[in-house]
Amino acid sequence: MAEPKKPAESVSQETPAAGSLTNMKYKSIDRVSKMQTVGKVFAQIGLYTFLTVMAVVVLFPFYWMLISSLKSFNEYNSMKQTFWPRQIQWNNYAAVFANKDLNLGRLFLNTCIVGIVSTILSLIITVLSAYAFARMEFRGKNFLFGALLATMMIPGELFTVTNFLTVASIRNTYTVLIVPFLVSVFYIYLLRQNFMQIPNELYLAAKVDGTSDLKYLWKVMIPLAAPTLITITILKMMGAWNSYVWPNLVARDTMHTLITVGLRNAQFQIAGTQFVNYPVQMAAVVLVTIPLLLVFIFFRKYIMRGVSRSGIKG
Amino acid sequence: MQRTKGQKKNQWKAWLYLLPALALLAVFTVWPIINTIRMSLLKDYSIMAELSGTKFRFGFDNFVKVTRYPSFIKCLGNTMLLTVITVPVSTMLALLIAVALNSIKFLRRIFQTIFFLPYVTNAIAIGMVFMAMFDIIGGGPGIEPSSIGIINTIIKAFGGSPIKWVSTGSTKTANMAVLILYIIWNALPFKILVLLGGLQSVNKQYYEAAKVDGASRFRIFWRITVPLLSPMIAYVVITGFIGGFKEYSSVVGIFGEDMGPAHDPGRLNTMVGFIYENIKGNQGRASAAALILFAIILAVTIINLYVSKKKVHY
Amino acid sequence: MKKRFGAVVMAGMMACTVATCLSMTGCGSGKKPTFEMPEGGFDTTTPVEITMFHTMGATLTNRLKAQIEAFQQIYPNITVKQENVGNYDSTYDTVSTEILLDDGGPNITYCYGDHVAFYNVGNAVQPLNDFIPGGAYADYKLTLQDGTETTLGMTEEEKNMFIESYWNEGYQFGDGETMYMLPFSKSTEVMYYNKTFFTEHELEPPTTWDEMEDVCEEIKKINSNAFAFGYDSESNWFITMCEQGNTPYTSAEGENYLWDTPENRAFVKRFKEWYDLGYFTTQQLNGNYTSGIFQEQKCYMCIGSSAGAQYQAPAKVDGVYPFEVGIVPIPQLKPERPKVISQGPSVCILKHKDPQEVLASWLFVKFLTTNIDFQAAFSNDSGYMPVLKMDYMQQNAIYKKYLEDAETGGNDYLTGLSVKVCSDQASAYYTSPAFAGSAMARQQVGGMMTKIFGYSGSNIDGTIASAFQEAINMCKYSN
Repeated sequence: MAEPKKPAESVSQETPAAGSLTNMKYKSIDRVSKMQTVGKVFAQIGLYTFLTVMAVVVLFPFYWMLISSLKSFNEYNSMKQTFWPRQIQWNNYAAVFANKDLNLGRLFLNTCIVGIVSTILSLIITVLSAYAFARMEFRGKNFLFGALLATMMIPGELFTVTNFLTVASIRNTYTVLIVPFLVSVFYIYLLRQNFMQIPNELYLAAKVDGTSDLKYLWKVMIPLAAPTLITITILKMMGAWNSYVWPNLVARDTMHTLITVGLRNAQFQIAGTQFVNYPVQMAAVVLVTIPLLLVFIFFRKYIMRGVSRSGIKG
Repeated sequence: MQRTKGQKKNQWKAWLYLLPALALLAVFTVWPIINTIRMSLLKDYSIMAELSGTKFRFGFDNFVKVTRYPSFIKCLGNTMLLTVITVPVSTMLALLIAVALNSIKFLRRIFQTIFFLPYVTNAIAIGMVFMAMFDIIGGGPGIEPSSIGIINTIIKAFGGSPIKWVSTGSTKTANMAVLILYIIWNALPFKILVLLGGLQSVNKQYYEAAKVDGASRFRIFWRITVPLLSPMIAYVVITGFIGGFKEYSSVVGIFGEDMGPAHDPGRLNTMVGFIYENIKGNQGRASAAALILFAIILAVTIINLYVSKKKVHY
Repeated sequence: MKKRFGAVVMAGMMACTVATCLSMTGCGSGKKPTFEMPEGGFDTTTPVEITMFHTMGATLTNRLKAQIEAFQQIYPNITVKQENVGNYDSTYDTVSTEILLDDGGPNITYCYGDHVAFYNVGNAVQPLNDFIPGGAYADYKLTLQDGTETTLGMTEEEKNMFIESYWNEGYQFGDGETMYMLPFSKSTEVMYYNKTFFTEHELEPPTTWDEMEDVCEEIKKINSNAFAFGYDSESNWFITMCEQGNTPYTSAEGENYLWDTPENRAFVKRFKEWYDLGYFTTQQLNGNYTSGIFQEQKCYMCIGSSAGAQYQAPAKVDGVYPFEVGIVPIPQLKPERPKVISQGPSVCILKHKDPQEVLASWLFVKFLTTNIDFQAAFSNDSGYMPVLKMDYMQQNAIYKKYLEDAETGGNDYLTGLSVKVCSDQASAYYTSPAFAGSAMARQQVGGMMTKIFGYSGSNIDGTIASAFQEAINMCKYSN
């Protein structure tokens, strides 16, 4: 499959029904199978057309964001829309960094601090709890685990009202952005399942050797569960990058604003006018979007794995 | 004797491992559940009034009042409408794309990656791109706009007339159309991922048998693919409904915190938006709304599970 | 590992403590209705620290800092911390959250009547009656560190310096007897117009809304692709029209929300027709203060805050202004009974457990509001009007000159001109009643106006009726 082939050809061989088709080839080629082959080619063309159209629809916003970020305001703000910038305007990006209202550097810093600290703390808490649930015996374990899973049913908004009151005194701090979301029952569940798959014999052998629980956890369990831990790390970091609702509620001062909140609340109007400077705004959007896409490119496998099991974004 | 001793020691240790998680859950999950129920049952509860010593009547007044509150009815209506339209449409579309992806080989990975891209983006950031694409810049009654935006340009190229999608003076139907499009765009990746995963694990023999029987593609899709995929379909539908009822960020992404076009803020507000709107001043009402949201989500999930129990083929 | 673990536990514990504290404050913070003078009165030696929240920009903050220094010359034991907390909305937001905490919130804050009414749901604002003429501690003496004696309360003489209508705004809270705030600096709405354009086309700035309609028609004939005027605040517009037409808006007592009358619907409908003709835009519909399009000559009149005069002048092109800005009072319905809104920040003192903090706050507030030089400098920098009578303000030579220059100074002296125009119409000021739902009412009528203006179908009467009703319902159910 390494060398490229014409789509129709390669596809006809690779469809699920390929086996039956090959069988038919050995029979005398009658009109019916010929028509089937022709129909197949048309079907393939149809499939590719459909997928291509959908792909264009999916990609268009990205394309528009990118080219708009490189247009001059006058080119953007005209009746004649162009599909490629007449002259590439990198200074839109300079304008984003110069926008004091946005203060992008600070936003990046805040988001990284919150993302890194909360990921580390969250990993520690998750590992400890998952280990307790997977490897330790204590009274009420199953009930407790069931109860934790049950809380996943409740929409987070139900907690927000009280949590907002709880943290009211420490608004506009990093603590308030980090602490309330350190425990994720879903991550505990994910890691526990992973820990359970590690054969018990290893544990017993370690016990015989006199290895302590913590050491065993650190030396054996964590390396073996590394893929899940990476998934958790990435999802948690993406969570910090994308979180809007809670930070918007509790941390709106410059020193603690997170990237998404900062982006949404920043003014991109051309000074003194009603015009939103869309090219500059789009440049800011690109700068917020690119890190995510890079992470996706490098960690595709881990992200998709975590995502297909969570159903929750970020 | 020794064993019980060891177990006891282990018990103590297990709780120590769980302590950080349980402590945080107690503050940020358990207490909120209790407090939210408490606040929702105290008539017109607000922490401000509680501080000055007001006594609240106990009962279901908040629930009764909230359902007569015009803003709540509007939010509920919007949320329902969005969910009822976006969930079936995006599921159907995702299913088609997944099936199409599953029946090609050439370029499949590229298509798969493209269709996953919307997932790794920031709902707020790309919402701003949608705003930019649909926005009409400048203009007003009797004043010529300076740009009608890319979507209207395309509509015009196909002979249609420009529409105010999101700008001042736009109709609610137009706003909703943009919002629905965006939500579907955003919801596709997760659904495609899950459904494609499901398709790939389906036993190919079913298809081959059907091919031999000479069944049409359409028939195969409805009679074999859909039933075999029904657990995954049920899964994406349930998570879709839950996500739909919690819709908020998409609206903020496009319309900003105004939750509507400039001339009619709040027009597109959702249940979650309603809760946040009341979180600072009227916690009794916010709590009641959060519990109603929970009840709806619970009911929809149960109905879905019940229906899928009857229809899903495992 | 162990260390981190400890940190996690600590974080959890801290969070628990916070929760406990909060639930405890719920039980009783022991706030009393009137001030109780501590034994020995105000202590001029023990250090005390107070905080003030405001929304001043850099220049004004520097003025305030200088004033704080001057204050500390007199009271060396009082430390005043000042903090810019954004705009009025975020001040309101921050204060209403912070006063939930035990002894929380700033000591002094910028405020509007609506805000004070809301803070008072939590019984958080210190009544000032004890400290003003006639109050229990009005004549209370205290000895400063340098041995001189001074009065704690406000003297009759000091009170008389205030412009009476501003002073009375402190009483707008239902009972009409309790004073909760002192005026700090004031503004109103004025109409800025493009003097060059008006002269060129032989137009007169309108003084009534009927004249306004004619001028709009003329302007659209000259430039159909521009708005005739921009009105910044939709809320102010609606409320001011009610005042000018003497039709009901709100009431602090009994039925709160009264604005759904045929007369009010009629004027909204009239403006809706104007909007459809492209006569005007508003801040919300425009997406920004209309001063922007005014500077760009996309509209030729602009009704906005008198304190925004500095933002009205267009940018110089090759060292000269493209046009000259004129300032006149806003159009009226009945010229013989002019009405224009009074706005701008007042200050209030929030209750705190330590009586020394409350007394220190009072002394500072009194020092700020009654100081002619500070009021003059503040006005000079911002275009806000001083809250003291002009007779007193004229004692400040710089300020006197500033006002004189405004007459002839052109675009460089707009703030002075704005102050002058405002002080000439002092009798026209009104404030609307403040009650717990008044902020909501303000917001709703503004939203109602834009919703109607932006409506693009043909059922205008129906839309107006339902928008009015919806706005009232929103207010009614919000409490």
